[in-house]
Amino acid sequence: MKCESCGKKIATVHLTEIVGKEKKEKHLCEECAHNVTSHFPKAPTPSDILTSIINQVSPEIEEMSKTTCPVCGLSYLEFRTQGRLGCPMDYDVFKKGLLPLIERMHGSSQHVGKVPPNASDEVVRKNELMQLRKELNKAVEKEDYEKAAQIRDKIYGFSGNINNGD
Amino acid sequence: MEIKDLSYNTGEWLRGTGKESDIVISSRIRLARNVTGFPFLSRANLRQRKEVEALLRETIAKSEITKELSYVNLTTATTVDKLLLVERHLISKEHAEGDGERGVAFGKTETISLMINEEDHLRIQVIRAGFELKNTWVVIDEIDNCLSEKLNFAFSSRFGYLTACPTNVGTGMRASVMLHLPALGMTKHIEKVFNAVGKLGLVVRGLYGEGTKVSGDLYQISNQFTLGKTESEILSIIESVIPRITSYERMARKALVLESKEQLEDRIWRSYGMLKTARMITSEEILQLLSQVRMGVNLGLINDIEMKTLNELFILTLPGHLQKLQGCELDSTQRNIIRASFVRKRLDNL
Repeated sequence: MKCESCGKKIATVHLTEIVGKEKKEKHLCEECAHNVTSHFPKAPTPSDILTSIINQVSPEIEEMSKTTCPVCGLSYLEFRTQGRLGCPMDYDVFKKGLLPLIERMHGSSQHVGKVPPNASDEVVRKNELMQLRKELNKAVEKEDYEKAAQIRDKIYGFSGNINNGD
Repeated sequence: MEIKDLSYNTGEWLRGTGKESDIVISSRIRLARNVTGFPFLSRANLRQRKEVEALLRETIAKSEITKELSYVNLTTATTVDKLLLVERHLISKEHAEGDGERGVAFGKTETISLMINEEDHLRIQVIRAGFELKNTWVVIDEIDNCLSEKLNFAFSSRFGYLTACPTNVGTGMRASVMLHLPALGMTKHIEKVFNAVGKLGLVVRGLYGEGTKVSGDLYQISNQFTLGKTESEILSIIESVIPRITSYERMARKALVLESKEQLEDRIWRSYGMLKTARMITSEEILQLLSQVRMGVNLGLINDIEMKTLNELFILTLPGHLQKLQGCELDSTQRNIIRASFVRKRLDNL
């Protein structure tokens, strides 16, 4: 059988296309078949498959993958492949994706350490509050309720106008 | 001070003094900081990189504690000079191999080093001889405070000091203690140490930090997490672990003396003999030989050599130092010959 397309070479590829109820058969030589099949939708690449697996496992990546930092232009996916952030703002912009990651790395996601000496009063007070909360948890864990009560009173002593969110 | 001046001596942290100096070589703390108003380096363009470098260099030159430091521009430094700085732990390997505007400021005693445009805009490092984490912290905290008067470091109340890599975020602090553990290595108990410290959130690294292999029985123990604990909490975890490891090492040494005295002594004296007589020594071999001799000195077997001399041999025979001393680039065979002759001369003059 000769190729239906070029009519020269021997047809070695036999394609069956079903559109609605109609069945079409095509008999083509290899060269012509290649031109036709290249218009077919591409099979998923390994990286496509990987992305879809990641999306099933951690859906935040799917959501975050559309996020790009307006300040430095880094996308969340670029961060995940390179492991480096682009600017301080990224910690805020990618917070949703970063939080579980940071939790896994450090076992915590709340800073309780040093505060820059030139930080604003609010930052300093927030930090002190965080440290007190941590001490409170420790005291409760140790069942040292007397100490826990003292720490709780100190926490109450903080004025209520500190915004506990970030 | 110029780089060539470095190639004749060792930094103060290699004096072989300090607490537990028979096992603890040095204590080191580094802080990662970034300046607000600039992107982190991976997203910084050439102009921004230059601006950050100039800003930090000028601030360091003007600040009370750091104004006496010498500055080396790594963009124009030669390969041998950069290698020498890595060998002296004044810069990291990544900093040497990086590109773009970057540099390092360090003091005469080499206790303080400030790396500009490494992975973060600024890495402050303080090294002391022996087991000295507390004093090391006091010094680095003061430098950090002093620079904070003139610079705004990126900080959030939630995540602390913001760093290019989230593994450093929070305190931005990595504290490490370098230990010499030959007996634990010989008796294969070192794995137990690794497992135990791992459970406490500490990691064991090689001689030149992250990703480097262990040579000459030298190990660095450092904190893995930097967030969720205060600097002093992190330091006290390491401080509580080190004495246990050092006493474990001393026990292993005692056991070796009791159980296989002859083999141990033979090994130590052979190593000393090799150092005194060999005509070619590789950089890997010298670390092993020095490790054995160091243990010999600690056990009181060898009395005619000081720890300071061993530390000098340890640092001055590294490839970058040898090439700087010779004033030219050398291939590995040439280095092995010169290394052996350098060691022989030093030991002959005792």
